[in-house]
Amino acid sequence: MKSNDYVPELARIIDIKEEVEGSRSIKTFRTNFVNPNGFSHRCGQCAMLSVFGKGEAMISISSTPLIKDYLQFSILKTGRVTTALHEMNPGDIIGIRGPYGNGFPIDDWKGKNLIFIGGGIGLAPIWSVLQTALGKKEEFGNLTLYYGSRTSADLVFKEELEKLKSEMTVHLSIDVEEPDWKGYVGFVPANVTEKSPSPENAISITCGPPIMIKFVIKALQDVGFDDRQIYTTVENKMKCGIGKCGRCNIGHHYVCKDGPVYSWAELKDLPQEY
Amino acid sequence: MKIQKILLGDKMEKILQKKTLPDWVNKLKNYQIIAPVQNENHWDFQILSDPSRIKLDYKNTILSPKKFIFPQREVFFRFRSDEQSSYDLQENLPEEKPAVIFGVRPCDARALTLMDKVFGGDMQDPYYWKRRNATILIGLGCNHPPSENCFCTSVNGSPFSREGLDIMLTEMGDTYFVESISKKGEQLIRQAEALFKNPKEADKSEKKQLKSRAEKEISRKIPNIKNIPSKLETMFDSDFWNEESLSCIRCGICTYLCPTCHCFDINDEIKSNFPIEGERVRTWDNCQFPDFTMHSSGHNPRPDRAARLRQRILHKFQYFVKLYQTYQCTGCGRCVSQCPVGIDIIEILNKVDAR
Repeated sequence: MKSNDYVPELARIIDIKEEVEGSRSIKTFRTNFVNPNGFSHRCGQCAMLSVFGKGEAMISISSTPLIKDYLQFSILKTGRVTTALHEMNPGDIIGIRGPYGNGFPIDDWKGKNLIFIGGGIGLAPIWSVLQTALGKKEEFGNLTLYYGSRTSADLVFKEELEKLKSEMTVHLSIDVEEPDWKGYVGFVPANVTEKSPSPENAISITCGPPIMIKFVIKALQDVGFDDRQIYTTVENKMKCGIGKCGRCNIGHHYVCKDGPVYSWAELKDLPQEY
Repeated sequence: MKIQKILLGDKMEKILQKKTLPDWVNKLKNYQIIAPVQNENHWDFQILSDPSRIKLDYKNTILSPKKFIFPQREVFFRFRSDEQSSYDLQENLPEEKPAVIFGVRPCDARALTLMDKVFGGDMQDPYYWKRRNATILIGLGCNHPPSENCFCTSVNGSPFSREGLDIMLTEMGDTYFVESISKKGEQLIRQAEALFKNPKEADKSEKKQLKSRAEKEISRKIPNIKNIPSKLETMFDSDFWNEESLSCIRCGICTYLCPTCHCFDINDEIKSNFPIEGERVRTWDNCQFPDFTMHSSGHNPRPDRAARLRQRILHKFQYFVKLYQTYQCTGCGRCVSQCPVGIDIIEILNKVDAR
């Protein structure tokens, strides 16, 4: 452990990809540490990114731990720090500290069918576990992705999703009808209900806006998923990342350190305050 | 950095003439001396520029001495962009001289032991511990409750609790009964041993009487505090929080004055835009402010006064108990006395018990 967790390591942005344009723009950043430091993460963990002069924001690491060459973050432009990140260029320096949080218990899921369910930017936290499962495909059963956004332009990882179709089952959706759209039209939970995935030997991993998560959980329960088969990630405003600044708590749990990954069996017993 | 262990020395019991207190203080040349100082209408802990002017004839300070361990604002590190468009980061760990704080009320010393739990654990906070380990706490027992809202005996404290202290002083007429509690405390007494006399049996029995009398004088109580954590668990969705918080004006004085509240914010303050130069700063923050939990999307998990009052009460009497098996409150009564609209944590907890 570092002796001072509050001082970040310097990292260089090596690549920026524009995923979604417009007022809710999303960019994917790849970074390298200026000084290699043995940073290693688990799927579903987060890192605190610094833009010096602007502050810090907690962002989930969307690259799989199987890739050692870079760390990847897909970031929705929404607040002070994420806006500053969106204005940066390859070569610019940011700060990174972490990794923080528990991550997905992927080792417990060997041999199981994995069903990934994402909405909007919510695909980013899932992406690292999805890519890890793909990288070790022989260790898991069937892999399925449900992913949706408001419009087709709001989908992240568009090129990767196309390639993904040859490796796993992909069910895409958009909220409102568009010409030439071949996927499902409607909200993500409705798509899940329509396809009705089998709960047998399955684990579902869902992330998206709080309202989507709520209805996905209901949809999964309706088709017979047990609360212990449903995993989600929670986000709350964070400052320290190490369970001390006191704002990301859900009951006695600090999301930064005890989360962000919860099974519904765990989360349903906590105060519903997130 | 290990959690500070109180090294128990031989317990010393001594008598010090009040008028020789400055002589003792003057011997402690290697330390900053911190003690209560009277301002216009309140007392506040300050670093004494002239330690010989030390006075301990006060009731209680407006703020606890927590600010000397966990300051309201502190710089984590300084950043400056360099010519290679990279950054130079300068860590800024505390470098202050070791300190002795005189006249700490037992509730405020216990509060630091609770703060130790938060800033300790798996992820040690180096800024906190650097100061904490360099600070010696000399307590002043409460012969009479310093405030009409004192309720330490309801939250496992007492007017003469020693938890967190290195030395305890008990005021007895023109003298202090001085007891060492830790090795650090013992060494501080030994630095001026000639000033201290040995107590007589009569002094010891007088001290005992003071203690039992002081406990009886505390009028505010939460008789069934033991039931509170489990009752709170069933009350998360209760309308109770709405009713109790209606008068709240979200000024945040309750947590600002609290000796156990530890929530903080981290922000960048810049001195120059080109080159980018500034400081990453930690400041106290407050769970009673709406933006404390507001996401940048605008979504707020604690959107109203009710949710925020509930968080304050549940953090102290349910969540903290789950994590550390103790209340996160030492009964100093500051939040009750200073609330501008009369929100009273003792009353709230007694109402919870009655439900």
